[in-house]
Amino acid sequence: MPEIQETWEIVKHLCRSLLYEKQENCILCGKADGPVCSTCEGEYFHPELGRCRQCGKLIVKEHPLCLDCREGRGPKGMDKVAAWGHYTGAWRDFIHTVKFKSQPYLLGKIVRPLADWAVNCLPPPDALMPVPMHFERLAERGFNQSSVLASALHWDLGVPLVEGLERITPTTPQVGLNRRERLHNLSGTFTLSRAGKNWGVKGRRIWLIDDVVTTGATLEACAHVLREQGVGEIYGLTLAAGLEGDK
Amino acid sequence: MKEMLFYLIRTDAGELSVSPIVQADKPFSAHEMLSPGLPFNLAQGLSEILKAEQSKAERSKAQQSQNEKKEILKFLRKHSDLRTLDWHWVRLPLAEGKLETAKAATVNEVNEVNEVNERNFTSRIQGRQLSEADLQRLANEMGLNLKEVIQLCQLSVLKGQAEWIPAVKKEKQGWRCMRCGETKIEEWPSIYGLAGTCPSCAALGALSSLQVLYRTLEPCPNDGGSEANRRPGVNREPIRFAPHWALSQAQEKASREVLTFVSDETSRKLLLWAACGAGKTEVCFPAAARALEKGLQVLFAAPRQDVVLDVAPRLKRDFPGLDISVLTGVSTRRFTPASLVLATTHQVLRFYHAFDLIFMDEVDAFPYYGDEALAWGLQQALKPKGKIVYLTATPSPKNIAEIQSKEMELVRLPARHHRKPLPIPEWIKSSVFDGNDGSDELNQWIKSLAQCGPVLIFVPKISWVNVYVKRLQAMFPEWIIEGSYSSDPERREKIEKLRTGGYSVFVTTSILERGVTVPDAQVIVLEANHDIFDERALVQMAGRVGRTRENPQGRALFLARRKTPAIQKAIDWIQEQNNLALEQGLIE
Repeated sequence: MPEIQETWEIVKHLCRSLLYEKQENCILCGKADGPVCSTCEGEYFHPELGRCRQCGKLIVKEHPLCLDCREGRGPKGMDKVAAWGHYTGAWRDFIHTVKFKSQPYLLGKIVRPLADWAVNCLPPPDALMPVPMHFERLAERGFNQSSVLASALHWDLGVPLVEGLERITPTTPQVGLNRRERLHNLSGTFTLSRAGKNWGVKGRRIWLIDDVVTTGATLEACAHVLREQGVGEIYGLTLAAGLEGDK
Repeated sequence: MKEMLFYLIRTDAGELSVSPIVQADKPFSAHEMLSPGLPFNLAQGLSEILKAEQSKAERSKAQQSQNEKKEILKFLRKHSDLRTLDWHWVRLPLAEGKLETAKAATVNEVNEVNEVNERNFTSRIQGRQLSEADLQRLANEMGLNLKEVIQLCQLSVLKGQAEWIPAVKKEKQGWRCMRCGETKIEEWPSIYGLAGTCPSCAALGALSSLQVLYRTLEPCPNDGGSEANRRPGVNREPIRFAPHWALSQAQEKASREVLTFVSDETSRKLLLWAACGAGKTEVCFPAAARALEKGLQVLFAAPRQDVVLDVAPRLKRDFPGLDISVLTGVSTRRFTPASLVLATTHQVLRFYHAFDLIFMDEVDAFPYYGDEALAWGLQQALKPKGKIVYLTATPSPKNIAEIQSKEMELVRLPARHHRKPLPIPEWIKSSVFDGNDGSDELNQWIKSLAQCGPVLIFVPKISWVNVYVKRLQAMFPEWIIEGSYSSDPERREKIEKLRTGGYSVFVTTSILERGVTVPDAQVIVLEANHDIFDERALVQMAGRVGRTRENPQGRALFLARRKTPAIQKAIDWIQEQNNLALEQGLIE
């Protein structure tokens, strides 16, 4: 009897999933209308705002650049940077869960809306290239969130994924450093990897993928290496950035 | 978070081991270690490959070392991300002290300084299954750092008292979470190949296949008799069982039967099927007392925190002086040694072969939530020869099937302590919820029931609660009318007020169906034919009526367009319970 009931439940479930798309909850607030509900979209992804072309920061649409970048304090070497959401509240918690709580698979749940958003902001690339992590850190965490994100986008967009960069010196924490210090801290950190050489970067258009952009120093350091190797165009894509006026 | 890495360690004689600490296991022989470290499952896999290599035909030392290198390279080739690393053997320094003294020393003596810590540690972790985050918590509780606790763990692993296992394990058929048993694992690409994280028990801190669980192994029964089996660190004062209540005739009968089951050598599972409000928890106390007297480990588990917090003071009162550990999501002290543990089912997942006797209260409280995870968790927490008593007012079809197939024994407790039959719910053909047409009818029912006591109105959807609260407040402005649902922030306060008769009408979802006693309560279930109300939910809701000696009567109305099988079954169940009680002379 219980088996029959169980089987019946499975059959019902299957029939329903054939008829309607299974309702998903919002990954940020847990309420209906996932993967990101309209309330959370407004709160964290601000469709009404623009993005600073140079550093990705969320800014009013009237300006192409944020104040820092207008005054020359922004990262250089990229054609455009696009950050999807505002690094705060539930969106920041989500990114932390992905990075620090062994749940990188959660990225798979937001990749579709991210990909939709990204193709509207950036021109189609020849490859997705994640910002690399030094092996010591990678060994302890077991994954590079930027690689997992790039891999998810690769499956969704059908664009090649190339682990074209390598981080050759371990990171000293960037927290508390200003942009100039960060850049100095990062000089000589990245190099073209064997996969990058094999693929051939010259003249290509690349999306550099990272989880969060703050000052943009990391993206700039990566772009610097790629430019030296003759890459054509470099675009930065990240999950989150600050919002102009954030303290 | 940093995951714990394990190192492959090799003595010069060729013995291989896997350890989370960069330190020689055996202080008297020379060691080297493969660097960098790896997640446990990989380090162990690699160690097994190398051991297999060693067991092959006798070779010279140089040859063997060459072959090992080949095997390691072959292994790394499978993981392209790891190939480029600088893999090398590092010579480990000998343990502190001169070689001469080190030779004479045993593992224990070397760790003499830690002996107090070790005893303290052993008493706290017996029967546990802990993640690295849990070990961090244990370290905090013991005033040590994580590294020291990991050293203590490794020491007990070396002594054969514990083991490391991958937290999520790749099995032949697929993945399995070793903590909750879940097989639907979320996969993701790691540098060590495909990895998996268990989404089901993530509330306890997500675990992935790159992480470990540390679990203790039961002391061997031949290691010195029953004394050795007893939990170290627990006081061995004689158990004082001083019940503050008298069992009713029905309870006493059931209690005797439970006691017989506990003492009996043959069966291992029992279902105590009690009428709602019959006092099933106390029925188990004498059996628990008997087990505790024998020096056995006892667990009371319940699916929800409020049930655990409700039972805790009752146990503390009836077992004065006994060490009782209460574990819920909000417990601050989690590693106090105790003979009697009270825990939510989530917390049970942190135990391994820990209990001789488990009482599982409200076993069917979450019919939609991981039946399998619960069964897995209980089975893990139970010692191989332990026994489980399941307590319920509404057995699941699976429970009933197990009884029919004689896999589980059955004890019935069909009567409440006031010796009156349970009120039989009534089906009323109605369609009040289709719109406003039926409102009058509902109002009439509410008016008539309210004369006897507060009316609990159960609705199938959260969204209905406030709609009905507003509608009824407008209809009966002179009454105090409120409502609540699971995510209501004021839920606790409102339910407290309800218990003390603070409302005339209270609208709610099924959250209120269990464990709550409202004196003189009357019940109306709206749209009782809704899918969400199975026979068990209906029995529980009807069970809110007539619970007190002062007022053993009352009415439970199932308002529904049609009489569903669930409605019929609920009515039949309660009727059958009354018949049984009457037959046994337990009600008047």
